[in-house]
Amino acid sequence: MNAPTGLDLASIPERIQTEVRRAIQRSIKGVEYFGSSGPALGLTPKDVLHARGTMNLYHYRPMVDEIYRVPILIVMATTNRGYILDLVPGQSFIEFLLKRGYDVYMLDWTAPKPEEKSLRMEDYVLDFIPDCIRRVQQDSGETDVTVIGYCFGGVLSLLYGSIFPDGPMKNLICFTTPIDFREMKLFSNFSDRRYFDVDRLVDSVGNVPPEMILSSFEMLRPASRAASQVQLWENIWNDEYVKAYRMMDRWGTDTLPLAGEYFRAITKDLMWDNKLFNDTMSVGGRPADISKIKVPILHAVAEHDHIVPYDAAKHLITKVGSSDKEEVMLKGGHVSLVAGANAIKRLWPKLDSWLGGRSI
Amino acid sequence: MADKGNDPVAIWQTMIGEMEKGFNSFANQAMTSPEFSKVVNQVGGATAGAQKQLGELMEKYLVSMNLPSRAQMVGMAERIQSIEGQLNEIKAMLHQMQRASGNISNDHTSAPRPPRTKRPPAPGGEPK
Repeated sequence: MNAPTGLDLASIPERIQTEVRRAIQRSIKGVEYFGSSGPALGLTPKDVLHARGTMNLYHYRPMVDEIYRVPILIVMATTNRGYILDLVPGQSFIEFLLKRGYDVYMLDWTAPKPEEKSLRMEDYVLDFIPDCIRRVQQDSGETDVTVIGYCFGGVLSLLYGSIFPDGPMKNLICFTTPIDFREMKLFSNFSDRRYFDVDRLVDSVGNVPPEMILSSFEMLRPASRAASQVQLWENIWNDEYVKAYRMMDRWGTDTLPLAGEYFRAITKDLMWDNKLFNDTMSVGGRPADISKIKVPILHAVAEHDHIVPYDAAKHLITKVGSSDKEEVMLKGGHVSLVAGANAIKRLWPKLDSWLGGRSI
Repeated sequence: MADKGNDPVAIWQTMIGEMEKGFNSFANQAMTSPEFSKVVNQVGGATAGAQKQLGELMEKYLVSMNLPSRAQMVGMAERIQSIEGQLNEIKAMLHQMQRASGNISNDHTSAPRPPRTKRPPAPGGEPK
């Protein structure tokens, strides 16, 4: 038995042996790592229901013999790819929903092309989302649709819901959705209106390049990339660790550019004027007041979210007009809330238990 | 096994974790200053300007080399995209017509969908 603070001398040879074995494995697996690609992601069978420029609407093929009446439309964040919600079998949120009997559609984005630099907030809120909802209705034969928005997809869903409060959105689920942009302190400082000339940037580059988006995310935790690479090297003997690392790393660096006009609107209306929080937001001249939203709403936030801190997200539930509303704070960060081992045991079952009864 | 307090690997891992947290926290504090915002945006603005100029220069270079310009490539991409879009629309219409005529094939898109009759499991019960 070990002394509480002492060194167990008997275990030293065994420990040395383990470390030597791992060191050898590191060398072998390290070579393999650089010579191979990561696991294939986003492979749950699906059909492209519609594609138009940056917008793609997928329908995932049902996996069970009986499904809930109300289909789900997932609105992905415009900065990232939707396959974070469809990693590999057993770690796919989409697969989880399908196996639990939901009919799942996803509004996912590809990089806007140079000629799409003029896409505005209204194109996303008043065109893309309603168009997808209409197509989901047509395809499913149902009038009601549950909308799930992740991060900025949640902001777009809130804007949509506040402009179309009479339906057809039946339920709204937001994951880590900011509404008080003042509280995203670092982003707020990066885009300080005294120094950040958004007009000059957009007029110069058209679409905001993905490298810039990625840098701004990485600057929130500048040491984390280096530290994660050290951890990768330490754990490179462990196939499961490497697989999980590669999935998350690939997704994390697979950032999308943002359409220039859309970025301009986000900066001016949300980052500078905090209009969503101040109830002065409008899209295409239509007021977008989230107190108009009356549908059942669930907001899942992460305890250690460094991208959308809780202070930026906490007012969502108090401000919506719904009587059936719930906020749930779960352990994890911005990404581990929705994907990975943490999500499998925390968020996914919670979402299923909340949504099942509201999907009939 | 040695307890974690004396395990050199665990000590190393803890140290890396603490260093990461410490550096992130320090950097975050520094990045909230207006001076940081000013410097970052000055550098960013200059980079964006340089990028624009480089793009224009490349465009001229491609024209002089008798290579298709970006605008021409974008135009072609747009046409292909539009053709793809029309093909998708035609495909969707064909599927609709096929469904309407009751001529169901083995194709998954025209396969009958599961009934929308699922109910949530009773509290404490197994999912249906």
